[in-house]
Amino acid sequence: MVKKRLYLELENCIGCRSCLAACTQCGGHEQRNRNYVYDVNPLKNRQTMPLMCLHCVNPACARSCPAQAIQIHETGAVLSALVEKCIGCQNCTIACPYGIPKFDTEQNLMYKCDLCIDRTKDGIPPMCASVCPSNTLQWLTDEEIEAKQKQFNLDNGKWVTSMPYLEGETNVRVNLPGILQGVTKLF
Amino acid sequence: MQEVNTKAPKDKFFREIENVRHPNETLIKTHCAYCGMQCGMNLRVNTKTNQIIGVEPRYDWPVTVGKMCPKGVTAYQQTNHPDRILKPLIRDDASLKGTDKGFREASWEEAYDLIARKFKELQGKYGKDTLSVFSGVSMTNEKCYLTGKFARVALQTRYIDYNGRFCMSSAAGGFLRSFGVDRGSTLPWTDIHETDCLFIAGSNTAECHPTSMFRVWNVQERGGYLIVADPRETPIARRADVHLDLRPGTDLALANGIVNLLIQNGYVDEEFVNQHTNGFEETKELVNQFTPEYTSQITGVAVEKIIRAAEIYGKAPNAVVMFARGIEQQHKGVDNVSGYTNMALVTGKIGRPKSGVATFTGQGNGQGGREHGQKSDLLPGYRKITNPKHVEEVCQVWGITPEEMPQPGVSAYEMFELMDQKTIRGLYLLCSNPAVSAPNQNFVRKALKGLDFMVCVDFYLSESAEFADVILPTVTWSEDEGTVTNLEGRIIKINKAQEPLGESKPDWQIQVELSERLGRGKYFSHLKTARDVADEFRLASKGGYADYYGATWDKIDKQDGVFWPCRDEEDPGTPHMFLDKKFYHPDGKAKICALPYRPPAEEPDAEYPLRLTTGRVVFHYLSGNQTRRIQFLRDMCPEPYVEVHPETAAKYNIEHEEYVRLYTRRGEAEYKVKITEAIRKDTVFVPYHFGHEKSINLLTIAALDPISRMPEFKACAAQIEKLEMKKVQ
Repeated sequence: MVKKRLYLELENCIGCRSCLAACTQCGGHEQRNRNYVYDVNPLKNRQTMPLMCLHCVNPACARSCPAQAIQIHETGAVLSALVEKCIGCQNCTIACPYGIPKFDTEQNLMYKCDLCIDRTKDGIPPMCASVCPSNTLQWLTDEEIEAKQKQFNLDNGKWVTSMPYLEGETNVRVNLPGILQGVTKLF
Repeated sequence: MQEVNTKAPKDKFFREIENVRHPNETLIKTHCAYCGMQCGMNLRVNTKTNQIIGVEPRYDWPVTVGKMCPKGVTAYQQTNHPDRILKPLIRDDASLKGTDKGFREASWEEAYDLIARKFKELQGKYGKDTLSVFSGVSMTNEKCYLTGKFARVALQTRYIDYNGRFCMSSAAGGFLRSFGVDRGSTLPWTDIHETDCLFIAGSNTAECHPTSMFRVWNVQERGGYLIVADPRETPIARRADVHLDLRPGTDLALANGIVNLLIQNGYVDEEFVNQHTNGFEETKELVNQFTPEYTSQITGVAVEKIIRAAEIYGKAPNAVVMFARGIEQQHKGVDNVSGYTNMALVTGKIGRPKSGVATFTGQGNGQGGREHGQKSDLLPGYRKITNPKHVEEVCQVWGITPEEMPQPGVSAYEMFELMDQKTIRGLYLLCSNPAVSAPNQNFVRKALKGLDFMVCVDFYLSESAEFADVILPTVTWSEDEGTVTNLEGRIIKINKAQEPLGESKPDWQIQVELSERLGRGKYFSHLKTARDVADEFRLASKGGYADYYGATWDKIDKQDGVFWPCRDEEDPGTPHMFLDKKFYHPDGKAKICALPYRPPAEEPDAEYPLRLTTGRVVFHYLSGNQTRRIQFLRDMCPEPYVEVHPETAAKYNIEHEEYVRLYTRRGEAEYKVKITEAIRKDTVFVPYHFGHEKSINLLTIAALDPISRMPEFKACAAQIEKLEMKKVQ
């Protein structure tokens, strides 16, 4: 099985929130969506962007957890808190540089994106990337991601859209807005 | 035995992916309940309870490869929703009409008896044509077909029409005039990302047909161009190479202006124009006055943008012109369609792969539903009720004589006028919610309230059902099977995933049983399954323009759908139209139309200085009767709002999220203000999915297109008034 990653192309987002609706549909997600879509500047224009868990290689959420409730799957997916271990301290929600973990006050339990682990462990794309109508969220091999990076990088040094990582190394790869600046027009 | 793979080749977006299968679950392959994209989906069914419990992407559907919008993802939640009507409902106290009060549960027997008695009574007193049928196209071809037969053979009335008059009828009228045939897209959707230029007018594609977007963006990724004409900077317009931000209701001037530039600047395909079209010279003469400056003066679009758009479209080796309700819901909607279609005809960018013209069909079966006899003047197979030969062909299938075939009726909105005049006293309403979706609601609701007797068939108690005497519970799309024709003109199969909930029944079955009560059983009783209806329907379409005879359910399954026309068992169907450059007018030529510009029926003035336009949001479908009940969608968009440009807001001294009174000559409503620079300063926008006092159609104008009878939802004159003291927390 070729390893695939979640890849985000922020420029494509149309704000439909299909990723959030689909998130609730994943078997282990108890009908709760685990990510975010933001209006970037709602009084000005319709630009939107998803904020998904980037599944850090060395995740701050897991490091900050005093109960070792946040496990890292062999695929690299940073899992949601284990119900039997989570003590509800919310350290993770503060530690995460992206504000990803959500907290259920009734259950006293943190929950977050687990990259649809019961799908991705078998190489099946997560729900969000499966349904995303605009290809903002894609499920790609490293080769495909590298090709994207080449396609969208400008070599004039002025604009680099594809960054390797935002903070620390992440399993999810992000392409910031601006991809079309590197495209050569057909005519 | 090795089965021959007859499916269409998969494009670059296709990935071979196995679906997740949970224990005690089965997946039913089907398509979405909502728009014309008809995205493929799998419904997850629990094999112990036999109930639909969720959705799983259908990665192998070639058009949408597993993609779904938020409406599609949550569509399954309709089926076992607590709001479902489970038994027939009767209201004895007519004074409660217009409310949801006074309904009591009844048996099907009692409901049928009452309907048959009332219908007979009314027809005995006032003649056959006192009854009417108002239908919709969010249901299968089989149901749409049978509804036409039910009206004409069981009720024997001339008055049948449908909500496509608020949706697709202008596209139909424009295509018929330009091409002689009305297939919504001349090419399959799998061509779209391979073209070099998309010219999209009046389509908020990212919100209304989101699963087209990965193909649209791919055009730009490849270095192609995207041109969008829209008064608002919608999510698709935001990324366009050229955004033609025109005044609502001025599309025809823009189209004429661009055609003029295409002609002036040498982009005409002379060989194509000479051999395959009529009307070029008159059109050339007419559009001559639409200089960029004059076009800019009418449309409000900058001269440079108009010139640039024409240059890009003209230069593009391949290009697709696409449009939607923005240009069609005008009182010159048909002219707008033919006007933009002219771009493709003068440049010859049609009748070959990767080039053509397409409309984004609004309703799930907006294409098929308009072809098979729900329209006041049409019979199955796109036959005309005014053509004696066509009438005879259909009579043979139906077993009636041509003398028994009713005359043509009137269009959807005009039926309300006849109700108001008491020409129509009874209504059988199905698959539609005109108490939200029709224009000029104060009048429409009065007309509905004044009916002597009204039946509403629905699975939820809609705003329109509040005017009914009897409500019959029908099924959702997932509890029956049949075919639907998507926005490409591809006939696809909807499959049954669950038994009907409660005592609900599919529309075709209700119509068969009611026909029997009305003493017309001999024309209907042989239809015992959806497949029986399908077989009769295919036969009834045989030989028509929209010939479905060869589109058997087996072939649909084997080929991933069948594009009509498909005339016999051997015919694989017609993905690309006009490849032989033969159009459907008698001389085989397309018509380039010379179309004088007309402004919207109601222009702004001192009293009503703003232009009001209406449309959709991504979270709701049509009148919202379905989507407003789904929690995720309701959470995302719980109420309508009015979009106002900040400079306009400053003029009225109104703020973001403040409630204001918006009013026109026809009505008023209060809306929360949404301030955005993504709209013209002279225009305000309100989404139309909401009912009762929140319905923007209280304000819209019923100015009808002379050909399509489409109301002008997209442009009228309005004014804003600040509400004192009322600021939301």
